Amino acid sequence: MRRHLHLFVTACRFDLVEHTRNRLAMVLVALFIPSWISLAYAVIPSTTVTFRLRATGRLLAPAGNQITQITGAINAVTLITGFMMFAVTFNGGRFDRRLAMAGYPRIHLVLAKTTSLALASGAVAAYATAVICAAWSPRQPVQLAAALFCGALTYGALGVVFGSLLRREVEGMFALVMTSLVDVGLQSPLASGGTRSAAVEFLPTYGTMQAATAAGFTRTPLPGDLAVQILWFAGAALVGLFAFRRRTKDALTARPPFRLPWPPRHRQPARPARASSTTP
Amino acid sequence: MELDLRPGVLAGIVGENGAGKSTLLKILSGELRPQRGTVRHEGTFGYCPQDVVINDALTVRQHLEFFRVARGLPDLGHAEEVMDVLRLSQHADERAGLLSGGTRQKLNLTLALMHNPRVLLLDEPYQGFDWDTYQRFWDLAARLRDAGRSVLVVSHLAYDAERLDELWRLQGGLLHPATAVPA
Repeated sequence: MRRHLHLFVTACRFDLVEHTRNRLAMVLVALFIPSWISLAYAVIPSTTVTFRLRATGRLLAPAGNQITQITGAINAVTLITGFMMFAVTFNGGRFDRRLAMAGYPRIHLVLAKTTSLALASGAVAAYATAVICAAWSPRQPVQLAAALFCGALTYGALGVVFGSLLRREVEGMFALVMTSLVDVGLQSPLASGGTRSAAVEFLPTYGTMQAATAAGFTRTPLPGDLAVQILWFAGAALVGLFAFRRRTKDALTARPPFRLPWPPRHRQPARPARASSTTP
Repeated sequence: MELDLRPGVLAGIVGENGAGKSTLLKILSGELRPQRGTVRHEGTFGYCPQDVVINDALTVRQHLEFFRVARGLPDLGHAEEVMDVLRLSQHADERAGLLSGGTRQKLNLTLALMHNPRVLLLDEPYQGFDWDTYQRFWDLAARLRDAGRSVLVVSHLAYDAERLDELWRLQGGLLHPATAVPA
């Protein structure tokens, strides 16, 4: 038990060191979140925007700059965690493999990555919520932070998926930005006026958008929508897990791929070669 | 091909670019699955890949700690010996991303040797080394061989043949006994 804890804590520690040394991500957290959220509040007019919130069916009429702050915060926290996780996955794939082949249990590496993602998501979600609260008072700040947290988790997992599957760094950055553009753009009450299309329910931050908007302007708790967002995270994390498992597989210990138990008729089976290294 | 790497042997495989040397070592280390045939290791092995596989965000010391935990080693005694031989100790607190190419390769090699494995699979292990470090690398390889380790060095040149007990040339997917190329 102590060894498991030691393996987990060590991997967590070095994951966090790696995140904190991602200077661009740190600058984005420190400057982009407050400046983008504050600019949205200062620049967008406070004219009311009327739309129907899908999750409650209620008609809402918040100030335009307040709802823009919420969509802007979702945009910012999801892109930042997505970028952070993409960067460590893309750059660290072969290093993770080397660690795993040196004997580091993959389950501890995965748990550590999930923990560091959760800590990073919690920090950026709390920070963004605090910046919003400095401008006005959302009705449910805790739900707002929870919604941002779940959205950040989801994009962090998507960052792992993109980092595992894409070959070039620029492809991953484009994939993240384009996904966020479509995702938040289609749901934004300012752009869609609370669209009636059910398609938005399948977007990656649908749960976050519903729960965060409700948190800003109603007193209705929306645990169901937070659960939907957690499901999105779980799905993306599962794909990321399979990709990680595939990338860190040891061919010497893994089972061989399935082959027919009899040789094909049209050709002679090749004589197996044997490469072995022996020590006393 | 059939390759039996015995204890106490310092062997080399040479071949032209693209002959499959690195692929062979990746198969022997478990990075790649062979299309046919088997690989059998008895005892621990260390693999130094041709590309430097380290984490630019971590210091040299943090790398050693990470791999110490991975390998379940009680201490870093052997790693420190290797670092002393390669003159890496003075960079212990520097981040890998800020190290020179040769020093990164020293770390790459140290991670392969730090658990004192019985079998060493080294792919172009001295690339980027200065002359002194290059000489010290061969002294270290000879010491490990004398201590009963099996050492396999892959290179695209056969200049160091006189230092090797066995030399093979990989050509057309087959291993042939080879002789030295005059430097």
